[in-house]
Amino acid sequence: MISSAEATRQIYWNISHLWVMYVLLLPTAASAGYGIYRHFSRWRRGLPTARFDRPAERGKLLFKHAVAQRRTAQNFYAGLFHRLISYGFVILTIATTVVALDADLGTAIMRGKFYLYFQSFIVDIFGALVMVGVGMAAARRYLKRPQKLVYTDEATLILVVIFLLCLQGFLIEGWRIAATNDPWGAWSPFGNLCARASRALMSVEAMEWAHRGTWWFHLVVSFGFIAWLPYTKMMHIITAPLNIYTANLAPLGASLKNIDFEQTESFGVNSLKGFTWKDLLDFDACTECGRCTAVCPAHTVGKELSPRDIVLQLRDLMHEHPRDAFGLASTIGTANGNGQPASITPADHEPTTDKEARKPLPIIGAVPATSPAALWQCTTCAACMEACPVFIEQMPKIVDMRRYLVMEEAEFPDSMQSAIMSLEKRGHPYSGTQATRLDWTEGLNVKHLSETKEAEVLLWVGCGGALIERNQRVTRATAQLLEQAGVRFAIMGREEKCSGDPARRIGNEFLFETLAKENVGNLNKYQVKKVITACPHCFNTFKHEYPQYGGKFEVYHHSEYLARLVAEGKLKPLVGLDKKITFHDPCYLGRQNGVYDAPRELVQISSRQSSIEMERSRNKSFCCGGGGGMSFVDEPADQRVNQERAQEAIDTGADILAVGCPFCMTMMEDGINARKGERDVKVLDVSELLWEAAKPRPLENSTS
Amino acid sequence: MNILVCLKQILDPEIPARDFRVVAAKREAERGSASLVTNIFCENALETALQFRERAGGTKITVLSYGQPSAEDSLRKALAMKADAAALVVNDGNTNPDPLTVARVLAAANAKLGTFDLIMVGREAGDWGAGQTGGLLAEMLELPCVSFVDSIESVGGKLHLKRQTDTGWETLAAEPPVVVTVTNDEHNVPRIPKVRDVMMSYRQPLTQWTLDELGINADEARAGNTYYDVAELAIPQKETRCEFVSGDTLDEKVEAFARRIIEVTGAM
Repeated sequence: MISSAEATRQIYWNISHLWVMYVLLLPTAASAGYGIYRHFSRWRRGLPTARFDRPAERGKLLFKHAVAQRRTAQNFYAGLFHRLISYGFVILTIATTVVALDADLGTAIMRGKFYLYFQSFIVDIFGALVMVGVGMAAARRYLKRPQKLVYTDEATLILVVIFLLCLQGFLIEGWRIAATNDPWGAWSPFGNLCARASRALMSVEAMEWAHRGTWWFHLVVSFGFIAWLPYTKMMHIITAPLNIYTANLAPLGASLKNIDFEQTESFGVNSLKGFTWKDLLDFDACTECGRCTAVCPAHTVGKELSPRDIVLQLRDLMHEHPRDAFGLASTIGTANGNGQPASITPADHEPTTDKEARKPLPIIGAVPATSPAALWQCTTCAACMEACPVFIEQMPKIVDMRRYLVMEEAEFPDSMQSAIMSLEKRGHPYSGTQATRLDWTEGLNVKHLSETKEAEVLLWVGCGGALIERNQRVTRATAQLLEQAGVRFAIMGREEKCSGDPARRIGNEFLFETLAKENVGNLNKYQVKKVITACPHCFNTFKHEYPQYGGKFEVYHHSEYLARLVAEGKLKPLVGLDKKITFHDPCYLGRQNGVYDAPRELVQISSRQSSIEMERSRNKSFCCGGGGGMSFVDEPADQRVNQERAQEAIDTGADILAVGCPFCMTMMEDGINARKGERDVKVLDVSELLWEAAKPRPLENSTS
Repeated sequence: MNILVCLKQILDPEIPARDFRVVAAKREAERGSASLVTNIFCENALETALQFRERAGGTKITVLSYGQPSAEDSLRKALAMKADAAALVVNDGNTNPDPLTVARVLAAANAKLGTFDLIMVGREAGDWGAGQTGGLLAEMLELPCVSFVDSIESVGGKLHLKRQTDTGWETLAAEPPVVVTVTNDEHNVPRIPKVRDVMMSYRQPLTQWTLDELGINADEARAGNTYYDVAELAIPQKETRCEFVSGDTLDEKVEAFARRIIEVTGAM
């Protein structure tokens, strides 16, 4: 028996003419290298954006989501097979590198225990796991056939090739073990299995021939795979980690770009050139997993919007028509961005030597996914971004294109136009409302900031809270709770204007900026430091968007502030209602700003029963349908996002649907009324629930 | 073709009724927190002019307003909607000039601006609703006036003016120059300007004149004309009452209901 310290195997064994391998390596590397370069060269055509700051945080994110694949694993099945395949491939790549180090550099590291434990045993196991992973992926793709996937020959071929590569590996290993009577063969369990089968079926000579033939075939397939990778979605093994590393580190609520109106030539984006390099990298990072589209509320109710298709179709546009897409001088053949001599073909372009003189192809409507109709269905809920395993930013691109339609073309849905016009003229989006900003204060002693020097906090009511009758009750409840807790607060009353959120999400950044500057000016005039608001949209705007206009405030959603008042004992709610309550997370509070617990605490306080969660809750919550200016749009009767969500709430069996946003309130009330049938289901804001428990009671009732 | 469109800036007519106050003593509306907007019929007139230019081509549209300095906003918005030039006659004091004075000022400004083939005004303003300025302006310019027009076509050197009537519509052929008052229609809903054009509108020149510069006696303009007087200004008090009619049978109820309607409305 040979000592295990000398364990190894003969590299190449049966294979001669190895120079052929090195010759084949050249075109392989050239093709792969060019493919990768081509991607980089296209990203470089995008506008600048700073995405390499804070390397420690980025490194952490990279580890969490590229190495540990946390988001990918949120879908258990897909996460599992993806890990089997990806970790398996990492191990196999290391093994191949070990062979190269040993054979080509003569390092003799493939020896002893390392050879037995790692190079033989572990590698064999992982090779088998890759095959299991491919099997699982294929089962999902071809048996379960989820709608969110993209069914292409490319995807099929990738699975076939990966499976084939592993199978070939085991066969080659098996024939070598069998033919050479490898004493360490048992360390490679799956190779050994092949060896035993071969011994029973084949002569040694046949095994040598089969080994040689399969070895070369394996080489051609693997080199071909490497050469082909950058031209497929498998490019994500490079682009996904890169995209995760360069992700937007801010909360989802701070995803939109700013526009410098003095310096910008075209407002919004209607060409690939208008995107940043990170946007373009986003396209190439897409793995076609379809999770964004699967969670998109508009898509779920049957509308055409599909964030996945926006990304994929723009990606194809970028690679199939790069010269048109970037407005480069056209030459015949594919473009590679290496600055070939310009020859301007279309007659309508001015003759010039500038190779970027052509107008880039407009992208809105150039592919089905970017049709204006689809772009106007987005509620900016950011579920797509939260779901994306590689941190693609779909929603900001939609808003970028909306900006173009609104600011350059003035073409957008009539109902949004009327909201925008009302915002311009009156500072609120509710055209024709007969309510005033002070109606809700009737009978309450609410002070205006100009009347009191005492106020420690501003109650920012918001247009929804002031001008929609149903929400006035919410605002009253909040104000009464604050008063009961002894909070010295005041309001801005008629001086308040829309925070600008709907204008910004609809795409009128100019109007948003005007409103933001005016509001910040007024807030600073009164030296406001602390702000409470019941509107998550105002909350988000104050928190992430006003600082750049000089408005730096401590901002609280009313649920946060009220929960704190309860915790501090300043509010003493009595025993809550004997009702089942479920809470609907507002997108701009939960997913986009990470506030999940405060409203739930209030719900818990307000009910004697334990609260119920909907299936889609917290960061996976499903939009009410009212964000992004969509609350001003009349949706087709059979495609209403609010009804889809209302049904989900009703299905929990809850008696009360708790909300924390004026838009959610109107959307969910409409949805519940449309779907509740005979059931009695109410929609209440968390502050109304708390007020119900905390409001002063006449003595005779307190015992009942 | 040279078109002049006259615009009036008014208090936002969409102000909630509860927010609307009048200063009874001064017999005028209180500004309060209301915003100032361009009178909708004036915007309809501008939109009609813009659409005419799009179809006929070779047309220059000038917008003109007689108003407070803030009326510049209305003119800038008109420029953003792609009017070619704008002029403002600054009203220095008389917050509610009577239609005859306005017509005099507009006529003087019109003469100073050049010659126009078509002069367009809104059919009435959303604040006072007098509806007289167009007719008076035509009289002063000694031009024919066609009222309630909602679209204009150029046909063989003549203008075909489609106007709304009590029973439908009619199309008149008019030889320019002519004054028209414009009413609203589903086709002349004012367009939303592009943001780029809004920004550009603030860089465009805007002619400003005082009354003196137009050769109008400012004191006289302020004093106004006395051909009518606002005797009283008040917000009508709305009262809502709910009443149930009684009756044992359906027929009795219907009869009682009908009788009550007649009593209340004085119908029949």
